[in-house]
This record gives sequence, C-alpha cells and structure tokens, in this order.
Amino acid sequence: MNPPFGIPPELFTILLALGLLAGFVGLNGLVLVYLERKVAGHIQRRPGPFEVGPHGILQPLADALKLVGKQLITPRGADKWLFWTAPIISFAPVFVLFLPIPFGPVLTAMEMDLGLLLILAFAGINVLALCLAGWSSENKWSLLGAARAVAQSVAYEIPLLLAVLAIAFQFGSLNLSTIVSGQGAWPWQWNIMVQPVAFFIYFVCALAETNRAPFDLPEAESELTAGFHTEYSGMGFGIFFLAEYANMIVVCAVATALFLGGWNGPAAPGVWWFLVKVYLLLLVMMWFRWTYPRVRFDQLLNLSWKWLLPLALINLLVTLVLVKI
Amino acid sequence: MPSQSLAYAVLFGHVAFIVVGALMTVLSQNLVRALVGLIMTLFGVAGLFFLMSAPFIGLMQILIYVGAVSILIFFAIMLTQSWSSGDEAQGPSRKRAVLASLTALAPALFLGLTIIFKSPPSLLVAEETEVSALGRFLLEPYILPFELISLLLTVAMAGAVILGFERRKQR
Repeated sequence: MNPPFGIPPELFTILLALGLLAGFVGLNGLVLVYLERKVAGHIQRRPGPFEVGPHGILQPLADALKLVGKQLITPRGADKWLFWTAPIISFAPVFVLFLPIPFGPVLTAMEMDLGLLLILAFAGINVLALCLAGWSSENKWSLLGAARAVAQSVAYEIPLLLAVLAIAFQFGSLNLSTIVSGQGAWPWQWNIMVQPVAFFIYFVCALAETNRAPFDLPEAESELTAGFHTEYSGMGFGIFFLAEYANMIVVCAVATALFLGGWNGPAAPGVWWFLVKVYLLLLVMMWFRWTYPRVRFDQLLNLSWKWLLPLALINLLVTLVLVKI
Repeated sequence: MPSQSLAYAVLFGHVAFIVVGALMTVLSQNLVRALVGLIMTLFGVAGLFFLMSAPFIGLMQILIYVGAVSILIFFAIMLTQSWSSGDEAQGPSRKRAVLASLTALAPALFLGLTIIFKSPPSLLVAEETEVSALGRFLLEPYILPFELISLLLTVAMAGAVILGFERRKQR
C-alpha cells in the first residue's frame, strides 16, 4: 500500500493502525457493555436489557448517547485542571498498549522486540490517572478509592511481572509475535500446559490490575459510592469506563498471546482464533464478577504478598532451572 | 532536508516538555501538581531515551519511575494531608531561590561543558544495543557495581522494615 501525501510508510502504518484501533476499542466498549449486562442478567436469572432493539441489542448505544449528552460538572473545591486531565491520562495509554499485540500472523500494528515490556510499562499509568482523579475530586470517597488503587496495583504488579517473566525466560524473547509463533496449533501445545501456575497468577493479578470484581475495591460501590470516579459526570465517567474495558481487552489479549497460543488454532490460524480466545477470557472475567463476593482489603493484600508473590518466585525459579537443564 | 528539521522539532518538543515539567515541579505550591510536573519530566526523559535509540532504557524509565516511584510518592503525599496548609504552600525566600537555582545550574553547566568539549563517540551516531548485550554487560564487566547496588537496595529495604517494626513497638 502506497501512503498518500508523501508520509513515511512506517508513520503511515502506525497512523492507520491507531485509527483502526480507535474504532476497535470503541466498538468493543459497546459490545462489552451489552455482554456484561446480559451475563449479569442471566447469572441472576433475569433477561438483562430487553427493551431497546431485539433482545436489547441497541441498549449500549442508548447508554452511550445518554453519557455523551450529560452535563459535565466540576465539583466545588476540586482542582479543575487535574480533575479533567485524569480521564485523559487514563485513556491515552490504551492506544500504545494495543500497538505490539499480535492479532494475526501479519496483523500487528508495530512489530517490536520489546513489545511485552512496552505493554507492562504503559499499563502502570492507569493507576496514576486513578490517583489524580481521586485526589483532585476533593471528596473522601474518591480519596479512599485512590489510596486503595495505589496499594492494590503496587501489590499485584510484582507477581504479574514475575509470572510474565517466566514465559519470557522460557522463550528468551520479549517479542509477543515470537512467543505466539513458538506455540503450536493444538491446546496441549500452548504455554498454559507448560506454565499453568504462571497463567493462574497472571489471571488473578490481571483481574486485580483492571479493578475487576472480586478485586474492585477502588470503586467498591457499596462502601465508597463509586470510589475514585464518584464526582465524574457524563463523559468524564464514560472515558474511565471505556479505558477500563480497553484495559480488560489488553490483559486478555496478552494472556491469549502468552499462554493460549495467540492466533494459532487447530484449523485456519488467523485473527478469528485470537478474538475468540480473548472473548472467552473476557466472559470468564464477567462470570467471576457475578460469582465471587468482593474481598476485604486485608485479604486482598495478604493474597498478593503472602501467597501470589512467593508462588510466582518459586515458579520463576523452577522455570529457570528447567530452562538451563 | 525535511527529516532533519523534523528531528529537531521532535527533540526540542521533548526538551520543552521536560523543562515545563521541571518548572512546574519547582514552582508549584501544591504538592500534587508538583508531582505531576515531576512525572511530566520523567516521561520526557523516557522519550529522550527513545530518541537516542535506547528503547529498553526508556521503557524501564516509564515502568520504574512513572509506574512505581511516582505512585509511591503520591501515596506518601496522600498520607501526609499537607497539601493546603504546609510549609511548602508558602514560596521560598529570595535568597533561597537564588541559591537553589545556582545549585541546579552548576551540574547542568558541568555536564554541558563536558559534552561539548569531550563528547563520547557514540553521541553522533545513536546505535541500538540489544537487550541481551545489556544483560551480558551487567553480569560480566559490571558485575561488581551491579551486585553492590542490589546489596544497597537490600540494606535499605531491611532498614525500612526495622524502622517500621520499632515504631510499632513504641505504641
């Protein structure tokens, strides 16, 4: 493909990818909102949204229009600049996060040797946005939510990194495409069979890092109203929401690439396998949300520091020994 | 040459970003805004590493400084509750401001002169070093400093734990 206007081809690829990714993230947001409400409904033995469109399929569009149409209110006493910068900081890294993900054999926005590290580095910025949002709202619930977000993300980032490191050691690479093509077509050739402990740790930590139930303490609605985003109205909240769903897709996509063979599949490898696996993981996350009660804060921290961290270290050590033998 | 001017624009864009962040850090009377300025600076420096074809160092800068250190500083600020009525809310006296700017200028001048008069040969042609090569450097020629740093960090961590326990006993 020849880029128009004399733009350098590398830049053109990235711009094109960013445009496509923006569409992908927006569309996925709509699909996931619908799925989440339907899954919640069926788990609680009710139909979920049913009125807008056939089986309520247009409900997320109505939700989105409502959010866009609402007035943006800055609370009195809030730090106005930081208050409105926080949602932007929360959403901006999402585009970077999607760049090195190998959706298909050739469908990668940016082939990069350090792709995994890029994702891990930029995924940490979300917490910063939560902190700024919670602090600048000038509201006790928001501040408590932000404090919880910090403690939680610091605690769960370490076992997550160690779990991912085990895979990186095994393949000697941080390039997601290399890791995907190192796995075979059939489920028993995927990394989850070799590294089940790492997958378990990764998935639990991913739930915590994306603030999903049972680890949704930063926004625990029954104790903190809505936690860090209590004061946000309209699209201020909408952007946080979209960023959360985008982050869920990112952690599931990384899990798919690292542990579930990525775009490899028993027949016709391609982007569809990748999407099927990502969506299965997302459904598991939703299933967890409506199955497990929220953990208490001391339980949350104990789980990470006393169980997951030692487990991840032992797993890493065993991997190292096995790789060297 | 358009790519040359584009490169300059990108470089000075980064420099402007870093300087604005640094000024915000120093001049802001609000601790959280100062921290936001610091984060801007750290981000800009990470970008500079990318420009010098050292993406690994740049990503590590973001992972460690933006993702961990600044967030822990944030936590400390939230615990102190000193954002509205602390000593830092008043500006410094003029004498202190002059001394502080002199202190900041001295290393900048020293480093700048060193670069101008004794520039390392790698400065002109930035070359990407592989991560595996970096790892080998750390474990072969630079093993002693590497181990000393890890020892230092272990001692600091043990010290922090001991201090925490002592304070708990006093209660």
